[in-house]
Amino acid sequence: MTPTPSETFVIENLRLYFRTHQGPVQAVDGVSLTLGRGRTIVVVGESGCGKTSLGRAILRLLPRNVQTYSGSVWLNGVDVMALPEEQFRQQVRWTQLAWVPQGAMNALNPVIGIGDQIAEALLAHQQADNPLSARRAVEEGVGQVGVPLDFLDRYPFELSGGMRQRLVLAMALITHPDVIVLDEPTSALDVLTQANIMNVLKTIKRSTDTRFILITHDIAASSELADDAAVMYAGQFVEVSGADQFYREPLHPYSQALMASVPALRGDKRLAAIPGQPPSLINPPTGCRFADRCPARFSKCSEEPPLFPVGGRLVKCWLYEERAHAE
Amino acid sequence: MPNDLLLSIRDLHTWFELRRWGFVRVGFVHAVDGVDFDLHRGEAVAIVGESGCGKSTLAKTILGLHLPRQGEIIFDGKPVRGREDLRWYRARVGYIQQDPYGAVPPFMRVQRILEEPLIINGIGPKDERVGRIRTALEDVKLTPVDDFLPRFPHMLSGGQQQRLVIARAMILQPQLIVADEPVSMLDASVRVEILQLLRGLQERYGLSVIYITHDLSTVRYFCERVCVMYGGLIIERASMADLLRTPRHPYTQALLAAIPDPDPANAHRLRDVPSGEPPSLLHPPAACRFHPRCPSFMPGICDIHVPKDFEPSPGQHVLCWLYDDTGLVAPSSTKRA
Repeated sequence: MTPTPSETFVIENLRLYFRTHQGPVQAVDGVSLTLGRGRTIVVVGESGCGKTSLGRAILRLLPRNVQTYSGSVWLNGVDVMALPEEQFRQQVRWTQLAWVPQGAMNALNPVIGIGDQIAEALLAHQQADNPLSARRAVEEGVGQVGVPLDFLDRYPFELSGGMRQRLVLAMALITHPDVIVLDEPTSALDVLTQANIMNVLKTIKRSTDTRFILITHDIAASSELADDAAVMYAGQFVEVSGADQFYREPLHPYSQALMASVPALRGDKRLAAIPGQPPSLINPPTGCRFADRCPARFSKCSEEPPLFPVGGRLVKCWLYEERAHAE
Repeated sequence: MPNDLLLSIRDLHTWFELRRWGFVRVGFVHAVDGVDFDLHRGEAVAIVGESGCGKSTLAKTILGLHLPRQGEIIFDGKPVRGREDLRWYRARVGYIQQDPYGAVPPFMRVQRILEEPLIINGIGPKDERVGRIRTALEDVKLTPVDDFLPRFPHMLSGGQQQRLVIARAMILQPQLIVADEPVSMLDASVRVEILQLLRGLQERYGLSVIYITHDLSTVRYFCERVCVMYGGLIIERASMADLLRTPRHPYTQALLAAIPDPDPANAHRLRDVPSGEPPSLLHPPAACRFHPRCPSFMPGICDIHVPKDFEPSPGQHVLCWLYDDTGLVAPSSTKRA
C-alpha cells in the first residue's frame, strides 16, 4: 500500500514480538487495517490471541522485553511509528491517539480529585492555557458522558464502577483525539451499566468523527458499536469484514466457530464449543494457525494462506481461494 | 409431591454487621433479606442478578458458609441447624467456585486435591478412594486420567482447572451442586464446553443444581427455572421460557432489554436503560427496592407498601404492585400492607 490520503487511519504490517526465555512470543504478527473517519472497528478474539498487545502496539505503550516492533501507523498523513519517542509522546499519544485501558475503572489515580485528573491531560498537552479554561473544558467533556458535574470534586473511591468507567472515557475524549483505542471497556461491568456505557459511546460516535478501535472478547457486546469487524487468532487477523455481513455470515471457519459458541438470549440457537486449544505464540504452526482445530481442513492448510479478498471482505483461509480469483 | 422437594429455604436473612473503629456498630448490610426458595430433585434453577444484589451471599448461605441471621434451610426434609447437621449437610452439597485457579490449592497435585474431601469424610480404603477419583476425572473428561493425576493446577488450562473444580464438587456424590458463576472467568469457546458438561452430569446423576450467574443468556442452555434477584430479594420467579416471553417485573424487563445478541442492527439504536444505580444494601429503599429507578413507579404505593408475591400467570411469581389483582392497596390507602 502506498502512503495514504490524510483522511484515513492506516496500520500496515504491524509486528510486536516479546523476548522470553523460550524464544520470541509473536503477539502481533503482521496486522494491517484501514479505518475511515468516524468509523469503528471491533477486534474480537479469545484471550491470549494478542488483541491487547495490538492496542498497546498502536499506542507504543510497550513493556521492556520487546524483541521486534515494526510496521507503520499512518495518522493524518504521517507515519507516527517513525517519530522519535519524545515527539510521539508530545504530539501523538493522547492528543491524536487516545487509550482507554482494560479495567479502566481502576485506572484513575486514587489520591487526585476527578476534575483535576481530567484537566491534567489538557494542561500536559497544552490544549488549555490556564486551569480555569481547562476546568471549563472538563465540565463540557464530563457532561458529554453523562456524569453530574458535582462529581468532579470527588475522589475515585466515592464513585461506582460505571461512573469511573465514564470518567476514564471522558479523559480519553477530552483532547478530541482522532483515534481512541478501547480495550475491553465494558467487560467488568454489569449488564445495565454496560448497556449504559454503550449508549454513551454510540451517542459520542454519532456526534463526533472520532474513530474507535474496540478490542473485546464479548462478541454480543461488540455488535453494539461495530461498523467493521476484525477477528484475531494467534496474533493475526483471520477475517476483516463489514459488520453487517460479519454478524450474519462469518466466513472464516474460526469466525464461524466463535459465533456458534456465543450464547444468544433470543431465538433457538444451538451452542457448539471449539475443540482444542489456541496454538502457542512462541512456536506457532507454519501453515494456517487454526488448522489443528479446523473442521474444514484439507491438504493445502499446511501452507500459510494470504488474506483473500472476497466480496469486499478479507479472509485468511484457503477455502476462499477460488472465490477470490473468480472476482 | 412433598418428598420430591430437596431443598427449601424459608425467610432467609443474611446480614453483615458494619462497624467503625472496630466496635461502633454502624448498621447492617442486608445482603439477603427475606428469600423463600424451593428446589426439587433433579432440577436446575438459576439465580440471576447484577453484582451486589446478594446472589453470591445467598449461595454461600445455602452452602452453610455464612450463618443466616434469620430463617431456615431444610434439606431432604431435615432442618439444618447445629454443627452436626452442617457436617451431614455439607457432605451432600457440592460447590463450584467462580475462579477455578483461586479455588484449588496450588501446592497439591490433582490426585491429592480430589482425595482430600474423601479422607475428611472418612471414605476408604485407599483403593476405593483412587477408584472414585478416576471415575470423577473421567466424568469431567480429564482423560487420560493417568496424565492428569500427578499434575499441579498451574499445569492445567483455565477450562481444565474448572473441570477439576467440578470433579471435586462431584467426588462425594452430592445431591445438590451450587455453581457460583462457573463460567464467567472463561473464554466464550470454553464456556460452552463447561456448561454442556455440567448439564450432562446433572442429567446423568439426577442432580439438583443452583446456578448463580449475572449472564442471563447462558441460563437458557442450562436451567428450566430462573429466579431474578434485586437488592437482596428474589423479585421474580418463573420458567425460563415464560421469563423470556413475558417478563413481568420492570427490573426483569430492563435486564432483558439490556442484553445484546450478536446482531449488526444493534449499532443503530440506543437501548432503554433505567437510570440510577443498584440500591445500597446498607440502607435499602423503603418498600419496593426498585421504585427509585422504576419506569412504572406509582407514587403512594410502591414507596410505601412492601410488594407482595403475585402470580399473574401460573408458575410465574413476581413482587410488584403492577400485578395486584386483589385490590388490597388503593392509592389512597396508607395502611401498611
